[in-house]
Amino acid sequence: MQAVLRAFFGYFFLVFIVRIVGRRPGRQLTPFEFVLVFFIGGLALTAMVGDERSFTSAACQIVAIALAHYAMTWARAKSKVIARLADGTPLILMETDAKTGPVWRAETMVKMRIQDADVLFSARDHGLKTLQEVDSAVLERNGDISVIPSDGGGSDGQSTAQGPAAKADAA
Amino acid sequence: MTQAVAKKPVGDSVAKVNEEVAVGEDLGFQRSWWRFERIVWACFVMIIALDLAGAFGRGPLAHARISSADHSLIVRYERIQRTGTPSMMSIRLDAGAVRDGEATLFVSDKLVSALGAQRIIPQPATTRVGNGGLTYTFPVTNPPSTVRIELEPPGPGRFPFEISAGPSASVTADVWVVP
Repeated sequence: MQAVLRAFFGYFFLVFIVRIVGRRPGRQLTPFEFVLVFFIGGLALTAMVGDERSFTSAACQIVAIALAHYAMTWARAKSKVIARLADGTPLILMETDAKTGPVWRAETMVKMRIQDADVLFSARDHGLKTLQEVDSAVLERNGDISVIPSDGGGSDGQSTAQGPAAKADAA
Repeated sequence: MTQAVAKKPVGDSVAKVNEEVAVGEDLGFQRSWWRFERIVWACFVMIIALDLAGAFGRGPLAHARISSADHSLIVRYERIQRTGTPSMMSIRLDAGAVRDGEATLFVSDKLVSALGAQRIIPQPATTRVGNGGLTYTFPVTNPPSTVRIELEPPGPGRFPFEISAGPSASVTADVWVVP
């Protein structure tokens, strides 16, 4: 029974830690963040397993984590408050103002520990060559940076390969 | 027969914050979250500092030393221990605790059951059970001499224990075991 409780605690504790450490998972993983993920995973394992090395214990813990994850996603879907606490909201990193042109959201960039280079990386990933071709950049809830090209052609930030090229030709 | 498919119109469930892109950003919430994050980071630093100091065991704050009123029995132990983690309790017996070349040491049951005494060094000459604990006898040639008990607590909690080496040499203390 204790093993299952440890698994529940471990799941929610790690979810909390990952939420606090910051939102840069998935494609944005740097080599340093790999260290973080594997080190935390390895350390959590020793405490979760304890001295119970049986198959029963492992199976029950896996089921407990599956259940905890289901409960988490269910609660996230049911409650906007929980969804915000668990995932946060998307954050605008760069926007284009009608008067001043493109501007960085300095506060968001500093507090989310994101650099211009990270946004430029995403811009290149979307087929844009420079930041001048970016209309706005958004840090999504899963840590990806969406980039919207400045000609306004792409609405989802994905179909941008044509947009900037056309703009470059026009210029 | 085909079953009906439930459908729902696509609405603007995400707030359209700036003019072009529906982002759903909430800077007010985010600022509160950043404040909360700062508090959590401060707590993390505090946890590490307390751990280095030994507040959760295995550090300077955890080491304790108690002696009996006549100072013939001195016990060094860790007042904060960790579940499943070995620690050594050392019991120093002075001449006052030795009679006829033999020291009699009583340890309460809690030391064995709750604090998980694994072994006692050196091996006692005799062991008797009763009176809520174990009574060991050790042949002593040239006091002071030290008896060590290896502990490995199986679970968390607060556990009082008692050790005595005769009627005038007795100590009681608490051990906190963290999960």
